[in-house]
Amino acid sequence: MNNPNMPGTPKSKFLQSVRDALGREDVPPTQPYRRLTETQAELEEQTAQMRKRLEDRLPTLLDKLAQMAALGGWKVHRASGAEDAIDYIQSVARESGTTSIARSTQDVFEQVPVDAALSNLGIKVTTILWDEDMPRETLREEIRQSGIGITGADYALAETGSLVVLPRRGLARLISVVPPVHIALVRAKDLLETLDDLFLLRRLEYHQQGGEMGSYLNLITGPSRTADIEMTIVEGVHGPKEVHMIILG
Amino acid sequence: MSQQAKITADLFVTCVVDQLYPNVGVSVVKVLRKLGVTIGFPEEQTCCGQPVYNTGFSQQARTLAMRVLDQFRDTEYVVVPSGSCAATIRVFYLELFADDPELLAQAKALSAKTYEFSEFLINVLKVENAADCGTTYQGTAAYHPSCHLLRELGVRSGPQKLLASVPGLEQKELEGSEICCGFGGTFSVKFPHISEGMVTDKIANVQASGADTLVSCDMSCLMNISGALNRQGSDIKVRHLAQILDAESD
Amino acid sequence: MPEIKTQDFTAASSQAILDPKLRRALDRVAEGFHVARLDRIEEVTQETWDGWKDQAREIKVHTIEHLDYYLDLLDKNVAAAGGQLHFAKDADEANEIVAHIVRTRDIKVATKSKSMVSEELSLNPVLESLGVEVWETDLGEYIIQLAEETPSHLVAPALHKSKEDVAALFTDKLGIPYDEDIYNMAATARTVLRDKFMEADLGISGANFVVAETGTLVIISNEGNGRLCTSAPRVHIGITGMEKIIPSMQDLSTFLRLLPRSATGQRITSYVSMTTGPRRSDDEDGPEEFHLILVDNGRSKMLADPNLREALYCIRCGACLNICPVYSRIGGHAYGWVYPGPIGAVVSPMLVGLAKAKELPQASSLCGACREVCPINIDIPKMLLNLRTKTAESPDSTQRTAPEMERVLARLYAKLMSSPRLLKIAVRFGRFAQKIERITPFFSPLTKDGKWIRKAHLPILSRWTRSRDLPTLPKQTFHEIWQKELSDE
Repeated sequence: MNNPNMPGTPKSKFLQSVRDALGREDVPPTQPYRRLTETQAELEEQTAQMRKRLEDRLPTLLDKLAQMAALGGWKVHRASGAEDAIDYIQSVARESGTTSIARSTQDVFEQVPVDAALSNLGIKVTTILWDEDMPRETLREEIRQSGIGITGADYALAETGSLVVLPRRGLARLISVVPPVHIALVRAKDLLETLDDLFLLRRLEYHQQGGEMGSYLNLITGPSRTADIEMTIVEGVHGPKEVHMIILG
Repeated sequence: MSQQAKITADLFVTCVVDQLYPNVGVSVVKVLRKLGVTIGFPEEQTCCGQPVYNTGFSQQARTLAMRVLDQFRDTEYVVVPSGSCAATIRVFYLELFADDPELLAQAKALSAKTYEFSEFLINVLKVENAADCGTTYQGTAAYHPSCHLLRELGVRSGPQKLLASVPGLEQKELEGSEICCGFGGTFSVKFPHISEGMVTDKIANVQASGADTLVSCDMSCLMNISGALNRQGSDIKVRHLAQILDAESD
Repeated sequence: MPEIKTQDFTAASSQAILDPKLRRALDRVAEGFHVARLDRIEEVTQETWDGWKDQAREIKVHTIEHLDYYLDLLDKNVAAAGGQLHFAKDADEANEIVAHIVRTRDIKVATKSKSMVSEELSLNPVLESLGVEVWETDLGEYIIQLAEETPSHLVAPALHKSKEDVAALFTDKLGIPYDEDIYNMAATARTVLRDKFMEADLGISGANFVVAETGTLVIISNEGNGRLCTSAPRVHIGITGMEKIIPSMQDLSTFLRLLPRSATGQRITSYVSMTTGPRRSDDEDGPEEFHLILVDNGRSKMLADPNLREALYCIRCGACLNICPVYSRIGGHAYGWVYPGPIGAVVSPMLVGLAKAKELPQASSLCGACREVCPINIDIPKMLLNLRTKTAESPDSTQRTAPEMERVLARLYAKLMSSPRLLKIAVRFGRFAQKIERITPFFSPLTKDGKWIRKAHLPILSRWTRSRDLPTLPKQTFHEIWQKELSDE
């Protein structure tokens, strides 16, 4: 807490009252927490083992991802290739009747070029990538007007059937929550098995980057939902009503 | 019946059974004797202290608990026809005396040899078949597991297995059996409106089960439930497990 | 602090229990969440579930034991990520921090996602007094904000409201035609709040977990409002209790497996959102400022008492509420303060003062169902007993507030039960009173078979006989039968 004008208790005082409550002096844990003592090398080793496991079990895990994602409320499409994926996206777009779509800037769109196919349907496609000509405010407005948001995946978790997105340049936080429909393209290489795998990679990145891993992470499993009125489930409350996961591979 | 050395056990009859349901105590003695157990009964016993313990009066609870520690010091086994009293002695005495090494040692020793009635039959006497007790029961019975028996002592299936083996007895499923009956000791008179709500639901389930008898290992629960059943004009009987196993019980 | 009504527990619960609509609503929630939770456990097997619970408890025990260490670590890492961590010793201080940010950042509109801790602070009136337009965005919270009520459940704050209630509320407050269709009502909320999300200068959230290792705030949610509150505005303030901290991001796996299943019976919520500092310079969007306020507000009292420390392990899943036969009958409002149900019966007295909330720990049959369902194996009955002992015997007179009558009765009981002789006399008196019951005022005539008392006029027994019959004293005690018949064998 750096600002002397900011109200609040100074850290030293707050920690002192915690120590008083615990009845002891300023003493770190006698047994350091295992996870917090793991070195980057150890995390890299664990990651290598994880990668091997994922490689060995890829087909099973892809099936599990599809199964769990569907259970979680994703509409899952196993695409036979880029063309099939594009066809599916076109059908979703037609179904929605939207005239405006936003998509992120991610590698997967080189593999699956959607822009032309959507333009052919008379749909405006905005690519999220801010710069001088396309400032953030404009992109934000575009996302607001879009009927569909399309992203790739940073990861996909088989355990829970979830998409993981790490917002950054080219990938807005709002693109996967504001438009009423969200389509996500998942490649085999995005696949992870468990939540443990995901957090291992995040921590590895954190260490490798000297204590940095980006500002946000979203784990998305199905559409937005609520049961707040009489326990009746309604989908599409504040987030998307419809979410599609296209699995390539 | 399993052949084994003569077992001697002291009975901690509990104040509820002693004062209100002595026939249950009689059935306990008869059943255990039939199974070859020599029964002792320290006559100075009164109450394990649970009512004062549960209302937070630990000093008074210690006074009563120390009598129990003393009276049952030398016996090999203590049998208690109540899940909640057995839990008090076996589990809560260890809390009560946590800060007194000498008394804690005594409490641990007592705890190690204290059994609720059905536990004693199954775990110590290795009785699995109620026919060993020579009993029969013509009727339909549902079983209510008391909360302390279930959750403090972890006794889940024993009593029902014994009931299942009673010749003539037809078991009925009790909906929501693991939901508290609403007694909770002084809770029943401190918050009668809530307690009433709970026992009302319990007897609705008992009535819906189609049983003519409700069996439990705790007379405090049965006092609560039967009090409500009777008020409703129901003629469903309540019986302690020991009474079902006692062929001579009415 | 929100208005404390814990002292009205008996009156409030007596009233609540007579409300059949509330009962139906509570049954619906308990049934729905409870059954789904059991399904989820069966799916993974009890063994796996127990393993997760043990792991979670181990993490919490360690963290709370070393809370100072992890708070310090968290502070360093929040700062390293470009965020600001603030420590608030109480509600007033937390509100001052928020007020300061509001004033210096020119905040006009704020959107809020669910935060029970912000209820402790009564934050909304503070914001409103500063001229900030505050919008609760969680559908349940939005409903009770319109209704000017407090939440009645940890996870489903508006569960006490029927769809008719909500429809009437929307008509009254939003001026729209009456419409009971639940889908339409949710759509109305979506429409109203859509613009607010994008308009807001400030987003306020709670936190399910804060990770010391990386300075990360974690929110699990289903509606998407949590994401919008933490992504769209230029300033984000997260407010939570200091006990929400966990050491490593790796620990999240265990908690993410336990919390959704325990709370709503979901395998995982629609969203898990993790914030580590404000947006980075290259990001497309996200808040420019990230503030995390960690609140004590009485938690150090629980920390200081080894008997009550485990109340701080709670992850606010609400499973104990859903299973509790007391909560299921009286609902959340009867508990009179922010936290209802079994965990509330421990936390509320500790945060508002035991003397003010002394009935809460008493209103339990100690059935233990809460402990059975708790994903962190928290022994709530043990803590309730501890609070009862404090009420009866604490050396601190501000806690030792048990009525004198109770004290007298407890001493009397112990005296009676310490003396078999005295007890015999008391029993003889009781039998005599029964015999002459027709001419005594103690109870109404017995039933024909002499086995039951229909109505007792004595103070405590009369409460029993309001709805239950009381068994009469038998002719002999077991002691007497033993001495006469049984001792010879």
